[in-house]
Amino acid sequence: MAEQAAVFDAVRRGMIPAHIYNDAEIFSLEKERLFGRSWLFVAHESEVPDAGDYVVRRVLEDSFIISRDNDGGVRAMFNMCLHRGMQVCRAEMGNASHFRCPYHGWSYRNDGRIVGLPFHKEAYGGEEGFSRKGQTLLPAPSLGTYNGLIFISLDPDAPPLEEFLGDFKFYLDYYTKQSSSGIELRGPQRWRVKANWKIGAENFAGDMYHTPQTHTSVVEIGLFREPKAEKRKDGNTYWAGNGGGTTYKLPDGNLEERLRYVGYPDEMIERMKETWSPDQQTVIGDNGFMISAASLFPNLSFVHNWPRVEESDDVLPFVSIRQWQPISENETEILSWFAVDKEAPEEFKALSYKAYLMCFGSTGMFEQDDVENWVSLTNTAAGSMARRLQLNSRMGMLFDGSPVVQPLSAEEFAGPGVAHAGYGEYNQRHLLNEWANCLERPVDEAASLAVGAEKPIEEVPR
Amino acid sequence: MSTTHHAIDSAQSPLGRHASTTSRAGKSLPFDDPRHLAAHHWLVEEAYILDHQEYETWLEMLTEDIHYFMPVKVTTALGSGYDTAPGMAHFDENKYSLSRRVARFATEHAWTEDPPSRIRHYVTNVRTFETDAANEIIVDSAVLLFRSRGDVREASLISAGREDLLRRDGDRWQLARRHIAVDESVLRTQNLAIFL
Repeated sequence: MAEQAAVFDAVRRGMIPAHIYNDAEIFSLEKERLFGRSWLFVAHESEVPDAGDYVVRRVLEDSFIISRDNDGGVRAMFNMCLHRGMQVCRAEMGNASHFRCPYHGWSYRNDGRIVGLPFHKEAYGGEEGFSRKGQTLLPAPSLGTYNGLIFISLDPDAPPLEEFLGDFKFYLDYYTKQSSSGIELRGPQRWRVKANWKIGAENFAGDMYHTPQTHTSVVEIGLFREPKAEKRKDGNTYWAGNGGGTTYKLPDGNLEERLRYVGYPDEMIERMKETWSPDQQTVIGDNGFMISAASLFPNLSFVHNWPRVEESDDVLPFVSIRQWQPISENETEILSWFAVDKEAPEEFKALSYKAYLMCFGSTGMFEQDDVENWVSLTNTAAGSMARRLQLNSRMGMLFDGSPVVQPLSAEEFAGPGVAHAGYGEYNQRHLLNEWANCLERPVDEAASLAVGAEKPIEEVPR
Repeated sequence: MSTTHHAIDSAQSPLGRHASTTSRAGKSLPFDDPRHLAAHHWLVEEAYILDHQEYETWLEMLTEDIHYFMPVKVTTALGSGYDTAPGMAHFDENKYSLSRRVARFATEHAWTEDPPSRIRHYVTNVRTFETDAANEIIVDSAVLLFRSRGDVREASLISAGREDLLRRDGDRWQLARRHIAVDESVLRTQNLAIFL
């Protein structure tokens, strides 16, 4: 524990003990104290639009069925039969009114309620021996949604989702609410990389500094209108609530001109103006900053960019949502979705999808080089030398802790939180500070639930 | 069909509208049919070119209207009628986007392939079909891609079925459409900075 306390102290000084990127003990602590209680993204409502639609998603080793029940509600149910623990759903997606366990045939409605129990009377003595009433697949301890994004927490006492998101909601809207209808998600592409999950989250949260180096090649092949990736340093990084991100500085213009500059057609711009708050419009229109990558603590990231998708000077914007799902201390499953405004014209949706595929995801030309770096970093972090090395994550901060540049004023940047222009590792520090806070705080033992052990005196709350 | 359960169709993709819709006719050709021999020869030559990462040569083997399409595989119940993620692919390419990928590898800054992967395409189970067009044939094959990076990193494997549309232009065959049915839902390789 003393060793861990030293790790957290170092992290709070902006120094990162390199082994945290490949350390079984740290990972075990993360599982219990971070992923055991944080709000975690599992799906978007557009992935389960109709009654009976479901997708199966994991939170570490726990499998959950995210379903749309017959009353239109969204459910997140632990994918384990109450009888012998079989997965009741072994597909990744589909439509079902019921989930029937293949082992002994117990079956559950798509809202989790048990409806079928073979030989209930003969085997259990009916309701007197096993009361079906009120029995359901275990619901996720907490569930919340924002702009259709479905989050669950394994902590029944988790703070409300919106409280957790805090001012990050302001920025989340740019990615997930470009009209009153919100987004639709396609995907995800899923693939496993031998990298620690934190690296991607940190990178998307605030690493504008890597762009000119890591992503030189995509600029060289003319994927971007701007001839130099160094333009990134004119943007800012902001942190608000439990998330933060990066922005690009756009050329002079008003809101419409700047949204047109990144490739949005006028009809989408009109809907953005109807949907976004005056401050949300000021950030782009007056302040001239356009959102790019972002991360929400702990492991959900977003990206917005606008490449060329054909031999032309036109650019096309796209949005991707991605999750860094930890498999172990040195392996991460990336789930990468393409997101697009539901009301966008079909032609825009098709080209935006193309822009996504060219830049991010399993084949994305940005992502390919990112992952190569992260795998290499993780690999090097496993040994004893890495235990001696504290990586410097203090960019943007002088020895006395004061910032290299002053935060942007409210006139310079209308968004909530704190924003700094130029390169800095402010957001990576925010993310890891929150990580340290979580890991230091012990969790209460979760209550166990015995299925049908006694005659129920009151209905089990659902 | 090259998939195990459900056929891939370019029309599944919003980017596949301009792809050729030529389909197979009849049973597979005898193995001594000159068209089968030509198709098999073409696939083996292509495998060597991809293994050597001679991607500019590879681009010349593709028609201008190519649709190079690898949907995301998903696990679905037997009666679902589909086993790919609606509207999502790993590759959904035309000649332009493939040319950008190839151009990127030719820069000195495509870090993911510097040092390069050692890759080998094992191509087998080849069968060839006639189509209604005299200059077009359809070729099924299975491909296993072995990829090794660095000295001790675990190598990765990608297994897939492919359905290719080959079109004859004068005395050469070119790839006009490729549907790739990858056999895993979750890929176990760090990226697809390779071609199948």
